[in-house]
Amino acid sequence: MIISTKWLSEYVSLPETTDALVERLLLSGLNHESTQAVGNDTAIDLEVTSNRPDCLGHIGVAREVAVLFARPLHIPDPRPQEVGTAASASIAVEILTPEICPFYTARVIRGVRVGPSPSWLVDRLATVGVVSVNNVVDITNYVMLECGQPLHAFDLAKIRGGRISVRRAVAGESFTAINHKAYSLTTGMGVIADAEGPVALAGVMGGAGTEIASTTTDILLESAQFAPLTVRAAARGLVLASASSYRFERVPDPAAVDWASRRAAAMIAELAGGQVAPGTVEAGQLAASPATIELRPGRVAEVLGIEIPAERQQAILLGLGFVAEPGATDRSRWRAPSWRRDCGREIDLVEEIARIEGYDRVPENEPIAARPVTESARERTLRRATEVLVAAGFCEAMTRSVVGASLEALGSPWGDAAPLVCAPPLVRGADRLRRTLLPSLLEARAANVAVGAQMPDLFETARGYLSRSAAPDTQSSPVEEPLLVSFVMGGGFTAGKGLAEAVLERLGLGGVAMNEPPVVFRPVSLDLFAAGRAAEIVLKRPGLPAERVGVVGEVAAAALAGCGLAVGAKGRVVAAELRLDRLEFAVDMERPRSRPSDFPAVERDVNLIVDQAVPWGDIAAVIRGSAGVLLEECRLVQVWTDADRLGAGKKSFVVSLRLRSSEGTLAGEDANRTVEAVVASCGQQCGAVLRA
Amino acid sequence: MDCRSRLRSRSAVTLPTGRNEAAAAAAQATSAAQAVTIESFLAELAAFQTAASESLGGVSDGSGLEQARIEFLGARSGRLKAIQKLLSGLASADRPAGGRHFNEAKGAVTALFAALQDKLAVVGAGSAAVADAIDVTLPGELVRLGHVHPITQTIRRVQEIMARLGFESVDGPEVEDQWHNFEALAIPAEHPARDPLDNFYLAVARGTDPLLLRSQTSTVQIRVMENRRPPLRIVSLGRVYRPDTADATHYPMFHQVEGLLIEPGTTMAHLKSVLRQLASSFLGGDVHVRFRPSFFPFTEPSVEFDMEWGGRWIEMGGAGMVDPAVLAAVGYDPDEVSGFAFGLGVERIAARRYGVADIRDFYRNDVRFLRQF
Repeated sequence: MIISTKWLSEYVSLPETTDALVERLLLSGLNHESTQAVGNDTAIDLEVTSNRPDCLGHIGVAREVAVLFARPLHIPDPRPQEVGTAASASIAVEILTPEICPFYTARVIRGVRVGPSPSWLVDRLATVGVVSVNNVVDITNYVMLECGQPLHAFDLAKIRGGRISVRRAVAGESFTAINHKAYSLTTGMGVIADAEGPVALAGVMGGAGTEIASTTTDILLESAQFAPLTVRAAARGLVLASASSYRFERVPDPAAVDWASRRAAAMIAELAGGQVAPGTVEAGQLAASPATIELRPGRVAEVLGIEIPAERQQAILLGLGFVAEPGATDRSRWRAPSWRRDCGREIDLVEEIARIEGYDRVPENEPIAARPVTESARERTLRRATEVLVAAGFCEAMTRSVVGASLEALGSPWGDAAPLVCAPPLVRGADRLRRTLLPSLLEARAANVAVGAQMPDLFETARGYLSRSAAPDTQSSPVEEPLLVSFVMGGGFTAGKGLAEAVLERLGLGGVAMNEPPVVFRPVSLDLFAAGRAAEIVLKRPGLPAERVGVVGEVAAAALAGCGLAVGAKGRVVAAELRLDRLEFAVDMERPRSRPSDFPAVERDVNLIVDQAVPWGDIAAVIRGSAGVLLEECRLVQVWTDADRLGAGKKSFVVSLRLRSSEGTLAGEDANRTVEAVVASCGQQCGAVLRA
Repeated sequence: MDCRSRLRSRSAVTLPTGRNEAAAAAAQATSAAQAVTIESFLAELAAFQTAASESLGGVSDGSGLEQARIEFLGARSGRLKAIQKLLSGLASADRPAGGRHFNEAKGAVTALFAALQDKLAVVGAGSAAVADAIDVTLPGELVRLGHVHPITQTIRRVQEIMARLGFESVDGPEVEDQWHNFEALAIPAEHPARDPLDNFYLAVARGTDPLLLRSQTSTVQIRVMENRRPPLRIVSLGRVYRPDTADATHYPMFHQVEGLLIEPGTTMAHLKSVLRQLASSFLGGDVHVRFRPSFFPFTEPSVEFDMEWGGRWIEMGGAGMVDPAVLAAVGYDPDEVSGFAFGLGVERIAARRYGVADIRDFYRNDVRFLRQF
């Protein structure tokens, strides 16, 4: 809302400087956007919150100034001289849809000379950024900017059939607005119609067919109330927002309907000649008067933490236009003024008192009692996963939660249910809530590669969105939101697996010290990953079914290409994703800690020849199961094949075993016995042969 | 490899500590070594130490140092090696003490060597070039550092500060229902904030209740209040979604941190004081906050709060006393408890703190950008 200080000073005397004025307004709820000199006037732009339509007119702002600076407020009381035949002789008004228009008034002014406005009016409108059209249109704009009530003037001669109807538009009905553009209307919109069709889009804009022209002599002046949602829907639907629609969306002062009509009629008679016909033609009813609000004496202090004397509280409310009503002795009773529909409860009065008194009085050193806080399992899980990835040199990315069809089509490790779709799209073409973070990270990697950024290894922690199959009841959400941590890096499968294992270890799952890690890696086939080069990470907890909690694998060529990444041996990319929501239990698990042995270790390497088909995981499990308590670490040193030396279809695992006792220095014979047991078990269970 | 590291690599002498090897050593001692008394062993050690320090005191160059090293610490025939052999001749009761003294003497002499070596190296560098000197301007071996996203860093910082004030962090679902995103927050059906054009509604519903991507993290506060009784201090945080066209100051996905305190007797003075502590901790120093009246459906009175930063007032977020209607909606008695809430736009604060002119940079995921944080 742009305010002319010259205009404002007609209602209240202003402080010495504009700075002093805007500073005080800023601290009482009218945010200051800018100040600009316009001619010999000053325009101040104030941000008005949606609950204060009264401040969308100069009088409303003047009232604030009057209360804030304790100065008298002068509001004119226009009484146009009424002459000639009654208005009702020229026009009839009916409201067919009160839900769109609760109250409508029409005034008739005859014998008007349409022409330019006087220079003071042109200047004043120019200060607030409104271009002068002609005296009649300028006056309707002026009065709207004065009291916040939009008005519209029709050329009475062009209203066909002598009757105004307020109704819903007929679907497809055509309407040409005063901007001379044609609009096709829908039934959600309200129109002002004459006998033949719409002459205005209710509360939004008048029509070209009835606009005030130089030939106009008789005027129909509309001052009405329109329903905010209808006005909003029409203005948005037709992209036709106006100063009028802006105000009707916020519900102007009902009392201003009559005031604005009188004010504009008097000004037209004065500045454009013409005779104001006696009376107004009205339809509908004005909104009922506001209810009584009770204010308990201690309430202000309870909310604000400061004492404001009762007399001061009363003075503020009276200054704002609240009316004191007789009531009980223990509390005061108030009726809100018609322009303050936002005030209907005790807390509203407290806020009014507070903002006029000034929040600078509220102290900023009121202590609160100490309270202990613990970090939740989820927070710790997130923090630990992030720590590992940052330690590994990764940068944390933040990608959009909603993706386009091509990324979505790469599939998800978390089921095949169709993605959730939102409207409107988050950004152009992106309307699918992602089921995995991996395609987004691949796309981010591609963007980095495209600009030549080095080592663009990225990770992200964010939600996925999964559609739950048929929620059993209306209480549970049909949407599941797994908390995911994902990373994408250059390299092969083992690089990705190693990092995934490091994350799992930090979360309390796995690690070298665990003889039986609760997570296992199993081959998996997913569209995202190259065939035969990916694993699912399966969580096995006692008493619970095994479930997939992660995936890791080399990204398939199609997925790389789909995300804009080069495909080729040099460009191998490995990606992993873990469901932290399924793993966060582990950070709270108590596990026994042991004191490391002081005795020396014995290292023994064994070279086991097995069939190609035997996976390392089987051998490792047998070794761990058969080595007994002396096994500290079983480390795979090398895997190799050589048809000449090992035989066709065979491979060799070179395994380093570190043995140590907690009770004494291990003798060579004890170490040998353990190694023999391991080799024997591997032979029996996996067909392994010790290579001499 | 320089001389010093060679010394170090040999400094570890494996003393018999384990039972089996100790037994083996004892057996060897009886057959091969002569019996030695602890007194004579200690005297040998003392003589060794004195001689070594005297000899080293006269060393003035690298070759002299090397000669002394061979004489005293040489692995084959150094004097220390000879003394080590005497160890096995000690009575088994004396052997632990002997070993301890041996190690002490060895450590002391080795340290003398290292110190002298450092000293000679400094002198040498000043006069003549050392043969194996390195170009110290060569790049170090790369250690790649990872980086936490600046948005996450900002959130964590606010979380940490608020945790010290007793606020625990909570999160909730991003896909929300009408009740938690609007109704419980006193945003009725006809409110413009619920316009389909201003929200990301989903094609699925729960029953007949339309679902949407949450437009504020206040939803989490409602969820917590529904399940817990006061007193309550929480910080809700996470992603929120509003259909704004992306530009330098807007993005359709952004982050909020919102604080909520519900305790009997809470006033706006508590709100202002907590925000001042947050501001002071976040910005450093004694920072003041300023309230400007504003309007939010779920707080009343509502304010915008500014913090004084570099001599100017900077808009930080919105705040207010929790509206009695919101307290009633979650089953609290507004006459018994009161509380305050505040919200911060994380992107805006992060942009200001790090001097980022365009918040879209936070979502480009360019590692050249991310590595600056």
